[in-house]
Amino acid sequence: MSPSFGRGAMTNSWQDMQNSEVFLIAGSNCAECHPIAWKWINRARLKGAKVIVVDPRFTRTASKADIFAQIRPGTDIAYLGAIIKYIIDNKLYDDYYVKTFTNALYKINKDFKFEDGMFSGFNSETKKYSYSTWSYQLDANNNPIKADSLDDPDCAFTKLKEHFSRYTFELAEQITGIPAAKIKEIAEVFCSRRPGNILYALGMTQHTTAVQGIRCYAIIQLLLGNMGKAGGGIQALRGEPNVQGSTDMANLNANLPGYIPYPTNAEKTLQHFAAKHGTAQYRPMVAILKAWFGQNATAANDYGYDWLPKNNPANMPTQTQFFGQMEKGQFKLLFNFGSNSTVSIPDRKIVARGLSKLDMLVVTDIFETETAQFWREPGMKPEDIQTEVIFLPAAFVYEKAGTMTNSSRLIQWKEAALKPLNESLPDLDIIDLIFKKIRELYAGSTDPKDNAILKANWDYGKHADPYKVLEEINGYNDNTGKLISSLAEYLNAPIGTVSTGCWIYAGVTGSGNLANQRNNSDPTGLGLNKDYAYAWPGNIRVLYNRASCDANGQPVDEKRKLIWWDAAQGVWTGYDGPDVVDKTKGPDTPEGKVAFKQTPEGVGRLFTASYTSGVPVAATVELPVPTRSAGMTVDGPLPEFYEPIESPTANILHPNVQNNPCAKIISTEFGSPEEYPHVLTTYGVVEHFCAGAITRNIPWLNEIMPEPFAEISKSLAKKIGVKEGDKVEVSSARGKLTVRAIVTDRLQPYKVNGKEVETIGMPWSWGFASLSPGPSTNNVTMAAIDPGAGTPEYKCCLVNIRRA
Amino acid sequence: MNVSRRSFLKASGITLAAFASGLGFDVAAAKAQGYALKLEGCTKITSICHFCSGGCGMLLHIKDGKLIHLEGDPDNPINEGGLCPKAASLQQVAYSPDRPKQPMYRAPGAKDWQYISWDEAIERIAKKTKEIREATFTKTEEITNAQTGAKETVTVNRAEGIAVIGSAEIDNEECYLLTKFARLIGTPFHEHQARI
Amino acid sequence: MTTRKMVFVDTSLCTGCKGCSVACKAWNELPAEKTKLIYGYISQDSTTPTTWTYMSYHEKYENGKMHFLMMKHQCYHCGDPACMKACPVGAISQTDSGYVLINQDKCIGCGYCVANCPWGIPKTDETKNKTYKCTGCIDRVENGLKPACVSTCQPGALQFGDREAMLQTAKARLEEVKKSYPKANLYGENLMGGTTYVYLLLDEPEVYGLPANPTVPSSLTFWKDIIQPYGGWLIPLAGAAAIGSFFSTRLINAASSKSKGGKTHGH
Repeated sequence: MSPSFGRGAMTNSWQDMQNSEVFLIAGSNCAECHPIAWKWINRARLKGAKVIVVDPRFTRTASKADIFAQIRPGTDIAYLGAIIKYIIDNKLYDDYYVKTFTNALYKINKDFKFEDGMFSGFNSETKKYSYSTWSYQLDANNNPIKADSLDDPDCAFTKLKEHFSRYTFELAEQITGIPAAKIKEIAEVFCSRRPGNILYALGMTQHTTAVQGIRCYAIIQLLLGNMGKAGGGIQALRGEPNVQGSTDMANLNANLPGYIPYPTNAEKTLQHFAAKHGTAQYRPMVAILKAWFGQNATAANDYGYDWLPKNNPANMPTQTQFFGQMEKGQFKLLFNFGSNSTVSIPDRKIVARGLSKLDMLVVTDIFETETAQFWREPGMKPEDIQTEVIFLPAAFVYEKAGTMTNSSRLIQWKEAALKPLNESLPDLDIIDLIFKKIRELYAGSTDPKDNAILKANWDYGKHADPYKVLEEINGYNDNTGKLISSLAEYLNAPIGTVSTGCWIYAGVTGSGNLANQRNNSDPTGLGLNKDYAYAWPGNIRVLYNRASCDANGQPVDEKRKLIWWDAAQGVWTGYDGPDVVDKTKGPDTPEGKVAFKQTPEGVGRLFTASYTSGVPVAATVELPVPTRSAGMTVDGPLPEFYEPIESPTANILHPNVQNNPCAKIISTEFGSPEEYPHVLTTYGVVEHFCAGAITRNIPWLNEIMPEPFAEISKSLAKKIGVKEGDKVEVSSARGKLTVRAIVTDRLQPYKVNGKEVETIGMPWSWGFASLSPGPSTNNVTMAAIDPGAGTPEYKCCLVNIRRA
Repeated sequence: MNVSRRSFLKASGITLAAFASGLGFDVAAAKAQGYALKLEGCTKITSICHFCSGGCGMLLHIKDGKLIHLEGDPDNPINEGGLCPKAASLQQVAYSPDRPKQPMYRAPGAKDWQYISWDEAIERIAKKTKEIREATFTKTEEITNAQTGAKETVTVNRAEGIAVIGSAEIDNEECYLLTKFARLIGTPFHEHQARI
Repeated sequence: MTTRKMVFVDTSLCTGCKGCSVACKAWNELPAEKTKLIYGYISQDSTTPTTWTYMSYHEKYENGKMHFLMMKHQCYHCGDPACMKACPVGAISQTDSGYVLINQDKCIGCGYCVANCPWGIPKTDETKNKTYKCTGCIDRVENGLKPACVSTCQPGALQFGDREAMLQTAKARLEEVKKSYPKANLYGENLMGGTTYVYLLLDEPEVYGLPANPTVPSSLTFWKDIIQPYGGWLIPLAGAAAIGSFFSTRLINAASSKSKGGKTHGH
């Protein structure tokens, strides 16, 4: 979403779902994996909203759908492309919105091409694209040149139209297995009711075409004018309690907190970093260095920029790739906080192989996870595994104070309700204790490499106080000596005069603990609940809400109005926080028209062009600093359908380019459709959570979902001579497991390119330990990851099945 | 009453006695019994669910430091008191006998854990961190300047041998401190299950 | 006089998450049972002494369209409760608000209520000689809280309120739902004297494994409505004959209640 809109987050909220007229739930089994969604979807249904569900299985979510389509896993882009074509062909797009709030009219570089499944600029050695032709035609001031009409042959809209002209309903049927008439029905219903809401989760992201599938959603919602509106938007239903927060706080190799790009060895000084990423990133980089190094960070020493370790772009493994680096001997020590890779990593045998090569593994968790005791999984030889393992018992969520950020960016504070059980400690204390001990060991060192440890600003009290940490995240203003009071104060302060540990959270503790606000009133009836907790950025509840207003700055939907331009007062105001560049710049000014201020162009991006705003035309210094550069989709400026890495069929769009050419493949064993004819898709169930480390230790949950299973259609059951309750062995080229069979009409065989295909469904939440052990589905899955998001393709691989 | 059902069925004498004493309905029985709410006298503390990203509010009822009951927080506008089965089950974590009671250590080649103290655990971890950091540290490396094509030596201050897997299941303050911790000890190799 | 209460179970909104199952266990401090999958996602297909509510799922594939129906089961808290009539020790009573309760101090675990419930809901713990079932969370309700299952229901499929108002809500919702599900019906409005849990079903009751017309066994009617009003003195006179007929009724019903209310999967 970030390349399309500038921010990679769910745009609206759970409560806002009550305002929708239609839902497309595709890539999300939210009735099971996000049950809270259904409180609000049902409220919309009671007012007449329609629900469309597209899924490889007829799920508990599908049971409540008005329209259900069973799709072959991993083929979403094909039918979504057909919907995009339908919108364009039938001129169902919102003409004013598209021209005003998107880059539809922007002229694209004439050298941009898409031929035989490949975009221009591919380097087959590195498997990466150069973005040089994915750019705009620029004027003398570095501004994109705009066409006069959507019919201009160079404009982004025309590129979009041409690109998707191949995606007919009939073609989509051949690829997805969904009948063409059904796809047309989905398109008609979704386009005829606005605002329309799109919900997705891991069903969309766990593919090697993850980002591009979500790009289709962005394009559809921009064309229909559904972005920035109550009841509209795109809801990325994040999978874990604080995954929004952990991503905001950059537990990721390519970021620092607040989505600052992590510096690589090419940005050898802070000036180089600024030149590459613009002031938009230079500002928070200085602020975080000041937060981390306090008084020791000065303009003279580049605020301690040198002390940060720099990434080597040639070696930036993601979590799935970590274990390979252990096996190869790079990593000797792994800190593992609250993550159960032994169950959760695809083709999971790579995990034990990696962990076995470590000197030391440190695990903190609530229960003794499979990862903590990988060395005693049945089949392992503990005596041959030299890894030292230390398990640290962690306090549970209600045994510690702090904040978590939910999927809709809402930061909520909680107090410790109970004392940590036995000797367990909050992770905060554990990190604090380890760091302080390391610092003690380095005391007195004069080696410059130890500066980061010795000069860090690190004092959270004898027992680390989460509120002190939250205040560091909020940040301080040097000039006042006080906490930053608002996001605006941070943005308006001269660079180098403010610190913040995560700039998008600036203001959260600026006037008391706003994350602890408890006024749940909702005078609008829209579910904004503005005075309950605090949403980043700047307590805005519906992102891009400027797009909910017309040319005069007035709400286009009186029933669902969020913000408006108050001409008398000369200010943007409303029920929600206005998501505008400057509250005093009216709708007739250039700034007042900007609805997507986090993109360099200020508009939603139908075509994700490479563009950096504010590049000085005549550079007077060696390293000119621009304003903001665009987030990019690494595998193409427009979405294209590619087959999953393991697929039962050839890519009929371009047989020579079967898969995403940029996908990173980690697994080394692959199966053919002849040997492994069926498509496996994996998922969670409502009764368990992710790798099950906690839920499989809760007796009440084991009672209602006691064991893993494989769901198969009646026709497949007949073919292999299996009935409900029999044990079946599911195998791929990578491994196998035996589970109970569920034989159901909720899966049906379907035709792909004329060939009958069966989908098998298996939940993945089991492992060898806990109160309810069971075989792990990730024995068989494929470790191949999306080039942009790094998400593995859990949702489709080829398997065979037989009676066990 | 300590009579098994079968013996009751057989012994008609007892049957008749029981019948005789139990005849007639008492519509007020429910009221008369009284329905003391076990939540009386409890302190209420709100928290947030630990599972999906809904951010549903939980309400913990606590008496004398002990959890009496956990249910949805009716004042949280996200869930208005509702909880899915996973969240509704969370009181079973509070006193679970299956939670490890103290730090544990598994020696190289060992087949089981041994309990260790927090002091020992932290000491071992810190020493190992220093050892690996020293052994695998890259202060500078050579790169090719993308503009000029020239070779340059740049400072990278990277501890190559240490990796950190963080978590989407811990608090913001903890995630933040872990990010800071990882970078300060020199590792950019920091990931978590957001991608999984 | 308390008004009669009702829980409206709108299965058109239920997502089968089993939140009610766990919330019931949590509030009533019921232990988990060791289970296995029985069929589909079902690990429990009847109540037990320590499982007072459970979810059933029913699959029906017709003309290329899938119907995945689901509902929770628990005591219906009948207006005219057979269990109460059957109870030989007067352990079962009914509140003004409509709840049917077993007084554990009086219960002897004889199983008459089990045998005579048209849905086979109460269950006897053979070691304790006590029979248990859903209490409607009477302790919550009497103290102004919603029942635990209603309170926890995320999709809002369970609503609690005064029976008259709830019935109005249910009927209005039925009209709406019938547009998509012509066979939709209200189950419980008039059954067994009008139940406290009233369901909006999307298909015929039989599809859910429910008896379409649950009734009080006739011998039970005879026992409670005709014989019993004469008071305790009549019992010795009724003697072996009446008691004997009672026992045979129990056994017959015990066998048939399994098929009526017990196994609900497989559709």
